[in-house]
Amino acid sequence: MPKRRRAALLPSNIALLQNLIRRDPGSYKEEFLVQYRHYATQKEILATNPGGFHDAEAFIDQIGFIAQVCTCYPNETKEYPEDLADLLRKHHTVLPVELREKIVQSLVLLRNRGSIASERLIQIIFPLLTTTNSKTFRKDIYATLVRLLKHANRNTKAPKLNRTVQTLLFTLLESSDGAAAAPDGLWAAKLTRELWRRSIWDDPRTVEIMKQAALHGNTKVAIAGVSFFLGVDREREKAERKKRGLVDDDNSSDASSDDDEGDKPQVAGIKHRIGVNKKTGKRARKLEAAMRALKKKGKGAALPTQLNFSAIHLLHDPQGFAERLFGQTLSRGSGNKFTLEQRIQVLNLVSRLIGVHKLSVLGVYSYLLKYLTPKQRNVTQFMAATAQASHDLVPPDVLSPVIRKIADEFVSDGVAAEVAAAGLNTIREILTRNPLAIEADLLQDLTAYKGSKSKSVMMAARSLIGLYREVAPEMLSRKDRGKIASMEMSATAAAGQAKKLQYGVENIVEGIPGLELLEQWRKEQGLDKDDTEDAATKEAVDDDDAWNIDISDSEASEGGWIDVESDVEYNVSDDEGGIQDDHNTDTEDDGDDDDSDKEEDVEEKQPEAKRAKTEDAVQTLMATKILTPADFQKLEELRTKAGLDKILHGGKAAAAMQHEDTVDATSLLGPKTGKANKMERMAAVMEGREDRQFGSKKSKKDNQPHSTTNKEKARKKNFIMMIHKRDVQGKNKKSLRDKQKVLRAHIEKQKKSKGKH
Amino acid sequence: MSKITVAGVRGSVSELLDYSENTKKRNFLETVELQVGLKNYDTQRDKRFSGTVKLPQVPRPNMTICVFGDAHDVDRAKHIGVDAMSVDDLKKLNKNKKLIKKLAKKYNAFIASEVLIKQVPRLLGPQLSKAGKFPTPVSHADDLYGKITEVRSTIKFQLKKVLCLAVAVGNVGMDEDQLVTQIMIASNFLVSLLKKHWQNVGSLVIKSTMGPSFRIY
Repeated sequence: MPKRRRAALLPSNIALLQNLIRRDPGSYKEEFLVQYRHYATQKEILATNPGGFHDAEAFIDQIGFIAQVCTCYPNETKEYPEDLADLLRKHHTVLPVELREKIVQSLVLLRNRGSIASERLIQIIFPLLTTTNSKTFRKDIYATLVRLLKHANRNTKAPKLNRTVQTLLFTLLESSDGAAAAPDGLWAAKLTRELWRRSIWDDPRTVEIMKQAALHGNTKVAIAGVSFFLGVDREREKAERKKRGLVDDDNSSDASSDDDEGDKPQVAGIKHRIGVNKKTGKRARKLEAAMRALKKKGKGAALPTQLNFSAIHLLHDPQGFAERLFGQTLSRGSGNKFTLEQRIQVLNLVSRLIGVHKLSVLGVYSYLLKYLTPKQRNVTQFMAATAQASHDLVPPDVLSPVIRKIADEFVSDGVAAEVAAAGLNTIREILTRNPLAIEADLLQDLTAYKGSKSKSVMMAARSLIGLYREVAPEMLSRKDRGKIASMEMSATAAAGQAKKLQYGVENIVEGIPGLELLEQWRKEQGLDKDDTEDAATKEAVDDDDAWNIDISDSEASEGGWIDVESDVEYNVSDDEGGIQDDHNTDTEDDGDDDDSDKEEDVEEKQPEAKRAKTEDAVQTLMATKILTPADFQKLEELRTKAGLDKILHGGKAAAAMQHEDTVDATSLLGPKTGKANKMERMAAVMEGREDRQFGSKKSKKDNQPHSTTNKEKARKKNFIMMIHKRDVQGKNKKSLRDKQKVLRAHIEKQKKSKGKH
Repeated sequence: MSKITVAGVRGSVSELLDYSENTKKRNFLETVELQVGLKNYDTQRDKRFSGTVKLPQVPRPNMTICVFGDAHDVDRAKHIGVDAMSVDDLKKLNKNKKLIKKLAKKYNAFIASEVLIKQVPRLLGPQLSKAGKFPTPVSHADDLYGKITEVRSTIKFQLKKVLCLAVAVGNVGMDEDQLVTQIMIASNFLVSLLKKHWQNVGSLVIKSTMGPSFRIY
């Protein structure tokens, strides 16, 4: 038994007692019970008159003390958590602020010690979020909730806890709907958004909460829900990137991000030490080990595939959601609860839902019709929404009035160039998604603007031409078709397989485009022999190489991949840019085209047979051989060579059809031409300066946090201690000439430094 | 498994067939399914893919099809022995959600004649496309029977809310060679759809309706 100290027995010295109890709970039980009884009586007093409670400070200490040690006496303190909860629930409005805070803190502590379950804690503090009047307290509780959920979901998801909280949020939203307490719903939206942003919650149920929020009767809550769907995924991505250290930000408060960064300095430190100290084998090995560890950790972090579907994709029943959203907030009966900006936000969401899930909400298009006039405020947003809301399953007869309206209102001779460009760009965006929505004569009218004097209008018209060259050249006037498209047209017409645009045929990839090229190449290389035994064994060996080589290859040359991609995109933008470029590519491709023409001539007699043959060959290749990574690489190469890439992912039409992207309202205006004004120039300059830091290196170094330098110490040293030193005394004893010299030098220096500024 | 070989697939297929023909024969025609697990797939950055490919054999011969047609197509459909509905029949549904849902449930796929298909969203509302069964168009010039087999033998890969997907590629009534061919075509096509090809594929598994699964990659 340890020696008892008298001080510990004093009822007021709680801190000491706590320490002693921690060491030996058994022997200090009596003392603890005294304290506990004292606490109980205090609590009684408090319960009778919560407003006029004076001895708060001592009580706070006591609560903290019991919370700290209650794991030592689980039986005696069984009711303690519930007592606290009771206190909080009944009197939280009148309790002193510190006491309230302490109670919450103690409850969190009890949860950390395992005395109460997380679910129970949330049940206790969650209602306070909406019932309390204090802003700070609310903030506290909110932060506590987020922290709690973050910790619970740290290593593995805690489905049970998440479910309880989600249910609470659901009920909160439901109960607040229509009632006077509507803003309570905002907390649900806020909490959900925060947790989604941190990727703590990423399941469909979370999305359902926000869906309910978006359909909430209160405008604020509804807009919170809508903006969640529109913006939160970008936020989440940013947060994730920050966490992974791609964006270095100083004020990363996340504990997890701090953990990740722990290793990098270690390697840097070892490297530095090797540079400075003697190079030894041991140090080199140390560095190697550190590098290995870092690499391993990096791999491990990237390993778990994250299911980061965007919130819109995870929606259950998007059709119903879009319809209700449209009906509640936009259609005529809904009244004018929402401002124009809010309505635009909702419309944006509805149109994205329609575009992503290919819904049919036919009311939207006639609704939009009303707003599509150049005089409408924020008309570009409406235009963007129109483009987003169109997809290939919208009946063309629904979309064509919209297109006609845009053409009439925006694209005519009397309007300004920007307006016409915006109109043409919008029409192009709609038509990339649904090329059937326009009649040939209207299209030809619109493409006539290719000769416009305004550059932006001309470019917009040309991009429209470029689009239809790809998807339906027969709808363009003859001279707009361009060489490649018209040759393709005549070729397909000769072969009797002209592919007409048809409603209901979803434009998705069919078969492997360009596979016949690979087939041909293989034949030329002599890889495709008859299925003799030799060939089979050879094949097997080749196979091995193809798989193995490529895995390392593609890992090493990640950069190469990206290069190719960006090239493709560059070509596309060229296409968009103008017709001259097309001519260039024409001349380049001439040789190939001629070849194919000759072949066509030879086999023109039995086109059907030829088609069947190639299809057959492709089928056999696909059926008999498993395409290795090497094959795919070759295929890509061949496709690029043949200009077929246009059809696959390079082709903007094909890409846009499965396009789930948002349409940027500002991009509809077309590229800005002419000189930038001062404000734009300044903005560009500021953007360039963003990461740069001006000033001397020295000042930057000095401003960094560092320990006191010797110079600083000398300057700050007490003068009395210095007065007898020779340095100081010497100054007085200097001869006049020396003094003058020093003074002169000082004046010179001052002048120089002044002249600099 | 680091790579997939034809021989390996053949072995798994024969085991699969052996199980469902000899070990435990069921009272119905089991379907063979290709299940795919994806990896390293960033759903935010990489587009969700979807694509169709036509297989040489019909994977599910019992697939039910309904034709929405004008008089001519209805006649043709009746002649072939496929269920058909005219415009009037569709109008009779009266946009009733329940009835349309029932209709969508009853058939595996729909075909509509060209003149009619534009009206389908108006007549039937969103229910069909919601079920992923929006009709395929057929013109008078097309061979209806051919179209129906085409629809039956076409499979579609589409990424939904999870990083795994499954498609029916055949049935246990097929012989080994046919099944291998079907599986190869399907997997080759799927891999061609993915941005990083095989590096995106986590696993490939084949499985008959009630049999055990065989991992082929």
